[in-house]
Amino acid sequence: MTQNPLTVTVAKDLEDLIPVFMTNRNKEVETLRGALTAGDFEQLKQLGHRMKGVGRSYGFVTVSEIGKRVEDAAAKSDRGAIGACIAEYADYLARVKVVYE
Amino acid sequence: MNDSVGARAAPAGTAFRVLVVDDDADMVAFLAMLLHKEGLRVETASDGESALASIHASPPDLVLLDVMMPGTSGFEVCRRLKSEEGTALIPVVLVTALEDTQSRVRGIEAGADDFLSKPVKREELVARVKTLRRLHETRKELESRRLAAEVQRKEAVRKAFSRYISPRLAERIADGGEQGNPFQGRAQRTNLVALFADLRGFTRMTEKTEVVSVVGMLNEYFGVLTDAAYQNDGTIFNMAGDSLLVGFNVPFPQADAAARAWRTALDMVERFAPVASDWQKRHGLALGVGIGICTGEAIIGNVGSEHYANYTIIGNPVNTAARLMQLAAAGEVLLCGPMYERIRHLVSGHTVEGRGDVTLRGRSEPIPVYAVRAAARAAA
Repeated sequence: MTQNPLTVTVAKDLEDLIPVFMTNRNKEVETLRGALTAGDFEQLKQLGHRMKGVGRSYGFVTVSEIGKRVEDAAAKSDRGAIGACIAEYADYLARVKVVYE
Repeated sequence: MNDSVGARAAPAGTAFRVLVVDDDADMVAFLAMLLHKEGLRVETASDGESALASIHASPPDLVLLDVMMPGTSGFEVCRRLKSEEGTALIPVVLVTALEDTQSRVRGIEAGADDFLSKPVKREELVARVKTLRRLHETRKELESRRLAAEVQRKEAVRKAFSRYISPRLAERIADGGEQGNPFQGRAQRTNLVALFADLRGFTRMTEKTEVVSVVGMLNEYFGVLTDAAYQNDGTIFNMAGDSLLVGFNVPFPQADAAARAWRTALDMVERFAPVASDWQKRHGLALGVGIGICTGEAIIGNVGSEHYANYTIIGNPVNTAARLMQLAAAGEVLLCGPMYERIRHLVSGHTVEGRGDVTLRGRSEPIPVYAVRAAARAAA
């Protein structure tokens, strides 16, 4: 069975934590944008690093993957790549659906 | 921030307590939830300094520690915990998204007990925590057994030595200070102060008093003298008949050995005065303590055979103190010249009489002798 790539399956026992997790991810998008505007690559690197650690732990593989790309791009001060990552992240969060099992 | 989220786990005090340290609130919530499910009590901290404060205030059984945090890093928190005696044994698991070898090496150098990679896999987390919990509980059990054995050993040492030296000195030996047990060392030369005390009128006492009473009186007399010696941290080397030999600056160095010996002599005379007064009333006996003190170089060590030996002091100051004691009248303290010179600043207020140079029995050369009578001695 092919699964919609924007559907994330999360363990049932994490259900109570997901609303706060999603709220924090959306806040994270704003923080990323602010850091990019300020050209604060150190903060961008830390934010990417954090996304990388927390995303997959909850089951959100895409969050970890985008986080890794943000971290790597920040290390190279690559504004363009970071901007693309942020846009992709915002789009992902707007469309992702969570199911519990 | 440091807030306990473990109220739903086993009751405090019995549950295995885990401190989760991470600046990411979602990561903390995730780890705490998984640990709760394992029946563990979870506490949290969001930065290195508050984690250290929490650990010092109430050491947990395990720390899950994020590496990259603003301010004090996880490496630094780990290094500080492992360098302090009170926290060194708490297992620390570094939780990090860093997977490169260099970070692992830094973690090992900081003293980390284990590593957990982010993203965290719950099966791996549970397995590692279980293993560390088992290890920690085994370590605690061994530590508590070691402490019990240590208490037992100290008690045995204290009991063995408390008949010869003051409780304070016995405590020092039991604690392993002063290079351990000095009584097992080789004989050596050292400067010491020897104090001999005996009972003036003892022979008459044994003639006039029932044997049972004599033993009781001697015990009372030695009780007074040994209390005075121990009060000043003197070491009793010999007790024979009615005489007592007390050493100072042995087996442990005492910079104020002469002053301690002098205070001991005063205490002996003063404390025995009411006892002597009571004996006079009850038995019609006039008794008092005579004391001789001398200082100089002597030998300290175990003397005897494989079957019987004494830890004792031998040499001129000991012989001289014994001769001075024999010459001392009741309530009188006789001092050799060097001893007097060391305590002359302490004897003002007491009656001091220079006896000139005296040739003591067994000595070819005369030595200067001083007699001191303490004010309290008059009661004797």
